[in-house]
Amino acid sequence: MKKIQLIIAREFGERARKKSFIITTLLMPILMIGLMIAPSLMMLMDTAEQKQVVVIDRSGVVGDKLQSGGEVLFSVQNDLSKAEACSIYGEDSGIFGILYIGSEVEHRDSVQLITNSSSSMMLEENIASQISAIVEAEKLKAYNIDNLDQILASVATNIELSTFENNGTGEVETMESTSSGINYILGMLLGMLLYMIIIIYGQMVLTSVVEEKSSRVIDVMVTSCTPFQIMMGKILGIALVAVTQIAIWAVLVIGASKFLIPALFSPEVAATNDMMMQALMGTLGNTSYIAGLFGYLLLFILGGFLLYASLYAAAGSAVDSVQDGQQFNTIIMMPIILALIVMMSVFNDPNSSVAFWFSIIPFTSPIVMIARIPFGIPTWEVVVSLVLLYATFLFVAWFAAKIYRIGIFMHGKRPSWRELWQWTKMK
Amino acid sequence: MKDIILSIEGVSKSYTGHTALDDVSLEIPRGAVYGLLGPNGAGKTTLIRVINRITLADKGRVLLEGKPMTESDVFHIGYMPEERGLYKKMRVGAQALFFARLKGLDKREAEQRLHSWFERLGIADWWGRKVEDLSKGMAQKVQFISTVVHEPKLLIFDEPFSGFDPINANALKNEILGLRDRGATVIFSTHNMASVEEICDHITLINKSRNILSGSVEEIRRAAGGNTFEVIHRADDSTLSAALGSFATTLGASEGIVGGYTRTKIHIPNDNDIREVIARLNDSCSMRSLQEMMPSMNDIFIRAVNGTL
Repeated sequence: MKKIQLIIAREFGERARKKSFIITTLLMPILMIGLMIAPSLMMLMDTAEQKQVVVIDRSGVVGDKLQSGGEVLFSVQNDLSKAEACSIYGEDSGIFGILYIGSEVEHRDSVQLITNSSSSMMLEENIASQISAIVEAEKLKAYNIDNLDQILASVATNIELSTFENNGTGEVETMESTSSGINYILGMLLGMLLYMIIIIYGQMVLTSVVEEKSSRVIDVMVTSCTPFQIMMGKILGIALVAVTQIAIWAVLVIGASKFLIPALFSPEVAATNDMMMQALMGTLGNTSYIAGLFGYLLLFILGGFLLYASLYAAAGSAVDSVQDGQQFNTIIMMPIILALIVMMSVFNDPNSSVAFWFSIIPFTSPIVMIARIPFGIPTWEVVVSLVLLYATFLFVAWFAAKIYRIGIFMHGKRPSWRELWQWTKMK
Repeated sequence: MKDIILSIEGVSKSYTGHTALDDVSLEIPRGAVYGLLGPNGAGKTTLIRVINRITLADKGRVLLEGKPMTESDVFHIGYMPEERGLYKKMRVGAQALFFARLKGLDKREAEQRLHSWFERLGIADWWGRKVEDLSKGMAQKVQFISTVVHEPKLLIFDEPFSGFDPINANALKNEILGLRDRGATVIFSTHNMASVEEICDHITLINKSRNILSGSVEEIRRAAGGNTFEVIHRADDSTLSAALGSFATTLGASEGIVGGYTRTKIHIPNDNDIREVIARLNDSCSMRSLQEMMPSMNDIFIRAVNGTL
């Protein structure tokens, strides 16, 4: 036992003291926030270029009412035929495209957008909705209703749904408020984090086993301890590094939740009517909920990592170089990728049977389950999932050790699957 | 009865397609410096790996102090592989400390011993450096210290002198002999015959997976020498032949050397006649010296491998 401790201490000490570890640990939260904000920032900044669209309106209703603005600038040129316009405003004209509106607007193929380069979904939606609104307004006008605009304004309605988790009392004030939007973001973040940790730290195990093998450190080590001790020491040591990293993030986020969020946002948020914003701040400010999430995260990351790290250790022991390990790496990654794909479907229905089973089956359970947890999952499901995960780890580690103890001393050709199987049966 | 620390009994090991060890037996006396010799690919390293339990033998057994070796016995062995087993990115001192503690030394004891070893081998300044910054010879010293620091009763070195300059090789040789004097038994594999002559007292020569020659260096050289002597004298050939009579015969032609002396190889078949021959040569040939000719280990090695011993 003391020997495993020494190995764990070495693996942990060598990695956690590295500058790269300290830097990634501190930069990762900033990077994550950046990744979340970047798309909306880019959308805000992406308004620079206006697209000129020449409009030929044969209906006589629509053309003049089209509103330029945003990314599109309309210019009506009814005196041109479609063919003329197409030849004049070709690719070199600087015009984005031609909008042709036939005399019967609602007929099929009557409204055509002919472009010189590919158009965007937003542009197409903008044009279609403008034309629809114009035609709708024209139709309404035909009914000759007085004060139509006022009537329309007064009937416009926008309902916001407040969702709560049932606690059996019926008193909404005591219930947890929930929001699918927030749950989606949280589930996504947690799932991606778990995915990255397993992949990055798992491959660290593979690389490090290969390095020990090819430098023959392992030959020296086995005169001091058993191969099983070496393998478990390495896996647990690296697991400890991962857990430390998550724990540091947990402390940062929980600290922010307890002190930063209330201090920064409560007065302003209370004043706004933005439900999404309020829910977000509510969730992030709910320190015990956040701490609970990190608790689950640690349990699933540890279990998932240990399971995959055992496979990576066995793979590393069987090859002489990291390149040779690539084939095994691909195979090990398959269930992880599958879990990621299933995770995406979880957000549509966190309680579907696909979501349920993939969050119970050990190889995909960590990622899928952690993505489901923010939506509120019965505790027994989480417990069953965890128990199965750790039990599978023990079995896989036992099996991996059988390959490992032979593999670390085999040099030369990469073993076939049959040879690997034979190793597991060797005395 | 000799005190045998390690005996290897009929060990065979084959890998798919080839036999690495074929019924190899040998006995290593306690306190010996034991050389495992043989051409590349003969099976030396496999034998070492069997002793270390890195590889398990297909047949035969390894006894440590008369008892079949178990997993925990391996901890009494210090092993230095030919490819140096050090973590490249780790600092030298931390690494040596790690290995020493794995061997069961507590932290303070390990630090003390390591510092004194580092001083002794002149690498104390390198304690805080990374292994990848070390030269091959330096790394080897670190490796050597890691191997011996827990003072195991059995030390195994695979090609310990490769990569050392003569001065450091000599220092290492003295350290190995020092360890032997303090009670350790040393096994090392090599194809550097000069080092064998200087420090080994016993050898085993392995060729094509088999043990073809085993024993003490003295005995082997004597046996291979076959009662050959070198005489330095002043007589001409006929006088010499007359003096030797029926007790000895000359081998090959005589060879003149400085100062009017001549060197001749002679063969004295019967040990009991040596005194008689010396007396006769003294009387009539102005003999200056008579020396038993020991073939070098290099000659023995080559002759044994070629089957002409």
